[in-house]
Amino acid sequence: MDPKLVEVTQLFSRFKAAFSRNDFDTCVVLLSQLKVLLTKFPSLPPSFRQTPNAVEELKLARDIYEHAVVLSVKIEDQDAFERDFCQLKPYYMDTCGIIPPSPEEYPILGLNLLRLLVQNRIAEFHTELELLPASALENPCIKHAVELEQSFMEGAYNRVLSARQAVPHETYVYFMDLLAKTVRDELAGCSEKGYDYMSISEAKQVLMFSADQELQQYITEEHPEWEIKGGCVYFQKAKETQPCKEIPSLQVINQTLSYARELERIV
Amino acid sequence: MAAVATVSSASGILAMLQEPAEELKLHALASLNSVVHLFYPEISTSIPTIESLYEDEEFDQRQLAALVVSKVFYYLGELNDALSYALGAGPLFDVSEDSDYAHALLAKALDEYASIKTKASKGIEEEENVDPRLEAIVERMLEKCILDGKYQQAMGMAVECRRLDKLEEAIVRCDNINGALSYCINLSHQYVNHREYRFEVLRCLVKIYQTLPHPDYLSICQCLMFLGEPETVASILDKLLSGSNDDALLLYQIAFDLVENENQAFLLNVRNRLTSQTPEPNPDSGLAEPDDQAGNAGTGSTEPSGDVQMRDDTATPNVSAHSVDPNEVARADRLAKVKGILSAETPIQLTLQFLYSYNRSDLLILKTIKQAVEMRNSVCHSATICANAIMHAGTTVDTFLRENLEWLSRATNWAKFSATAGLGVIHRGHLQQGRALMAPYLPQSGAVGGGSPYSEGGALYALGLIHANHGEGIKQFLRESLRNTSAEVIQHGACLGLGLAALGTADEEIYEDIKNVLYTDSAVAGEAAGIGMGLLMVGTASEKASEMLAYAHDTQHEKIIRGLSLGIALTVYGREEEADTLIEQMTRDQDPILRYGGMYALALAYRGTANNKAIHQLLHFAVSDVSDDVRRTAVMALGFVLYNEPEQTPRIVSLLSESYNPHVRYGAALAVGISCAGSGLSDAISLLEPLTSDVVDFVRQGALIAMAMVMIQTNESFDSRVGTFRRQLEKIILDKHEDTMSKMGAILASGILDAGGRNVTIKLLSRNKHDKLTAVVGLAVFSQFWYWYPLLYFISLAFSPTAFIGLNSDLKVPKFEFLSHAKPSLFEYPKPTTQQTTTSAVKLPTAILSTYAKAKSRAKKDAESKANQEKATEDASGSTSSKAAKTQEKDADAMQVDNAAEKKAPEPEPTFQILTNPARVIPTQEKFIKFIEGSRYVPVKPAPSGFILLQDMQPTEAEVLALTDAPSTVAANTGTAAAPGQQASSAMAVDDEPQPPQPFEYTS
Repeated sequence: MDPKLVEVTQLFSRFKAAFSRNDFDTCVVLLSQLKVLLTKFPSLPPSFRQTPNAVEELKLARDIYEHAVVLSVKIEDQDAFERDFCQLKPYYMDTCGIIPPSPEEYPILGLNLLRLLVQNRIAEFHTELELLPASALENPCIKHAVELEQSFMEGAYNRVLSARQAVPHETYVYFMDLLAKTVRDELAGCSEKGYDYMSISEAKQVLMFSADQELQQYITEEHPEWEIKGGCVYFQKAKETQPCKEIPSLQVINQTLSYARELERIV
Repeated sequence: MAAVATVSSASGILAMLQEPAEELKLHALASLNSVVHLFYPEISTSIPTIESLYEDEEFDQRQLAALVVSKVFYYLGELNDALSYALGAGPLFDVSEDSDYAHALLAKALDEYASIKTKASKGIEEEENVDPRLEAIVERMLEKCILDGKYQQAMGMAVECRRLDKLEEAIVRCDNINGALSYCINLSHQYVNHREYRFEVLRCLVKIYQTLPHPDYLSICQCLMFLGEPETVASILDKLLSGSNDDALLLYQIAFDLVENENQAFLLNVRNRLTSQTPEPNPDSGLAEPDDQAGNAGTGSTEPSGDVQMRDDTATPNVSAHSVDPNEVARADRLAKVKGILSAETPIQLTLQFLYSYNRSDLLILKTIKQAVEMRNSVCHSATICANAIMHAGTTVDTFLRENLEWLSRATNWAKFSATAGLGVIHRGHLQQGRALMAPYLPQSGAVGGGSPYSEGGALYALGLIHANHGEGIKQFLRESLRNTSAEVIQHGACLGLGLAALGTADEEIYEDIKNVLYTDSAVAGEAAGIGMGLLMVGTASEKASEMLAYAHDTQHEKIIRGLSLGIALTVYGREEEADTLIEQMTRDQDPILRYGGMYALALAYRGTANNKAIHQLLHFAVSDVSDDVRRTAVMALGFVLYNEPEQTPRIVSLLSESYNPHVRYGAALAVGISCAGSGLSDAISLLEPLTSDVVDFVRQGALIAMAMVMIQTNESFDSRVGTFRRQLEKIILDKHEDTMSKMGAILASGILDAGGRNVTIKLLSRNKHDKLTAVVGLAVFSQFWYWYPLLYFISLAFSPTAFIGLNSDLKVPKFEFLSHAKPSLFEYPKPTTQQTTTSAVKLPTAILSTYAKAKSRAKKDAESKANQEKATEDASGSTSSKAAKTQEKDADAMQVDNAAEKKAPEPEPTFQILTNPARVIPTQEKFIKFIEGSRYVPVKPAPSGFILLQDMQPTEAEVLALTDAPSTVAANTGTAAAPGQQASSAMAVDDEPQPPQPFEYTS
């Protein structure tokens, strides 16, 4: 067996050991070493060189990246999640039959969908969805994300919140928690558009806060332009004055003159 | 493995860029570099990340990052950004890479570098701003081209980038130095727009030439001529003077080539420098400024000259060493001959002989015109006289005029002026006899009222035309005539005459004389004075222009303003950028006439350069000026700017030729006429064709004239539209209801079509691609005929004979044969006259003169005459093979015309033709000319036409001379005597009407 492959495999088993111990700091260190080692494998994307070890290498690399994704969820690092997922994706999409599909594929894809939902990147969510085959939609992990998105779009936010209880995979919990905040942001946005002002108690109910402090903290962090006055929350948006429409006389004059000049030049 | 895996997205790699580990970033960059052509859209969103990598001083692969960014920008079409990052990529940017990316960026880099260099040459301080990395890339590129043996590419780039050092290197390292040099000369004329820079390139080339063991003196002298360095040319000629016989041939050839470029001031200067044997320090030997030379040449023909440093070491010792008599004699003899050539006496005389003896003008066409034109219509009357003059330009054949003296006498006033001037065109180049010929018309010093001022003025103008650009001998006389008269008509003639004779000499005294006339503020004389001053100062860019401009602002007379503004335009001839201030001043003037002059200034300053800026400006004026005159002139000026690329003109003016404004259409027609003159270009003809039947009369006039200029010397078998056009002309002339304007156009067009006995063409570029000053000036003034018909005669300046004249070392014309590898019919003279009579005979019943009976009798006589002609041709057929071939052709034609005659089986036409020296070789024929291997004479340079010196390979044998002096003495001594001889035969023809003149007159 190729010595490099051996080295990576050994390192990876150390990583897995640490991972099962929930020793995430070691994991991160090992992971970055693993990634550097992986760059030495010629059969990995984007080159996909056909080497005798290609299958092993690809499988191993995919495994490493799958772990990396899960690890990023565990350490609650969304940027790392995105980075690792992007690097993992070619193994799912482009290996086309060189290596057998991974059992972790759908859970991770679903996780990614969920992440996009959390980050309110709906367009990308649908792009990702389009890339999946029709059969994949039946998978509980994917289905879960799709249903969430539908509820989210309908505005059935309570269904979204209650779905936390029925997660198909333990890693989903982290994102489901984040989703609640996304829902709150949506609600805040809607309220802002819909009302000029709202009483604090109503606002608390709508935004699902139990205490006034929480509400106030939220407003100062996320919507500093809102104003709490006399037991009501005033949304400043509507008060913005419309800019008065001025007749662009100079522009019109210039244009007319240039037309006249052009007409004169017709040959 | 079944399917080959490919990545479908670069997002994975891009994500890797975000990794904290350096190695991963590196790996990502390397991967990106390999897939950038597939995923640049995805990568483009991450450009800021990669850029920040490039800007990160710590990152050790910044250059790779730069390369990736550069590639992405390239794919996004942002070449500027791509280039600046490619420069950042340093050595990673591979010059020799064979990819679109590399090609595009190299091109961009070269452009960038060239434009920086160009800018730097304008403002000196910016020189330092050239990015050294850019320079390094360009130099790598040049180096590579030279190594790969792509010398032409390297030379082109070096010229473009203003790297004369690299140019020199490329040329010197090239295996074919002479080829490379001539390529560069071509390059500098065609593609170097900036005049100063072109001079630099040429100077560099001359320098290289001079280092060669066997310098190509022909090319060197051409270069030096461009540079305006007569002293160096003189020293080269001087060296050759004392060389072997071969050197002598070369010497003559150089002289002929220089003369062809028609730069009088330069030639005079060279000649004067050759004159003095004793080297004397010349005050301005170091100056290359044409003004100064012109000044020298003009003011003192006796001025001591000679260049000196060079001659001191080369020629003088040579002479003193061989102080043996024969050598001295030979040298003196050669000197005399060279001077003869340089003063243009020899070439002009040879041309005259050629044009005289090969004259094929068709008197019958003139007769038809004369009969068709109404007597009282003076416009058409003088147009006919003009057409005659043009048809016989330079042939000295004035039969038509002598036969129609009474008809001629109907010309009065200015028509008389023109008619007399026409004689000058006919006798153009008849230097020795010119004054004697014109004597009866010239103002007599004692007798007052001897002749009408109109004919006297016309005669002075005629003298100018005869001596155009070679007026050494006549200018004194013209000056006296100018001083001795106060009649404005005579002054008019004298000013034009002086201007022509002293063209471009910048003679101060003459200038003062003409200026005095100008300051009399007489409209008629002042106009000519303005033009005359311009002619005198052609191309000198002297400060006299501002003087003229000031007077143009002062005077009330439009005519004077017009004359002056054309004059001012003439002074900046060929000065390109130098003229910009003046042009700016004129084109911004409130007076439309001065703006109109500004158009001419643009045209002449940028003549034949196809300069984009000038074209742009002209097009701007053509569509935006309020004055029709300015617009018309602006369009016409395009013709002058573009005459070095005639194929371009029809395309550029095609839209303008469909303008609603007839003036613009007229201008478009003339622009095509001027730039495509003599080319027979199909596009040009297609563009002009609809204009010849325009609704507006003057547009038709312009189109007809332009068409004739384009079709000159093209015959029907070359382009069938020529025949159609000839018939159209005839129809217009014969049509009673046609407008006078277009009738005049048609008459002139007939003249131009058969100009100079069908042996001349209009050429604005010499064979060396030098602009022919006289020709361009001639056409520019000619185009003024819109305002002033007598200026029509200036077109004669643009005519140049289409002849191959081979000369031996005695400058005689030996018998020499060569090959024209094409069907003879393609280039022969147009169909014989008889055909035209028959057509006119058919038309006559509906036309002017004849009754049916008369026509019938004419037909009968036609048949007779044809019999005569056939007999005559058979007589002639014994002489040479080429003549025989032609006669057969002619026979066949006659048969086709005459249906009643017995039928002969048409012989298959040969695919080649043997031509005998001197021969008519028209421009389109030039590429078919081949010299026969192993013949007695070998040309010094393999040019297909013009004056060619022939090297005699069997010098011991007696030479057979072809063009003897016999016809020329007849022509020269007997302007009067020769004519009666011809008259005898053709006078009858005219009086009895039907008999055509003898088509063949082989005086030898």
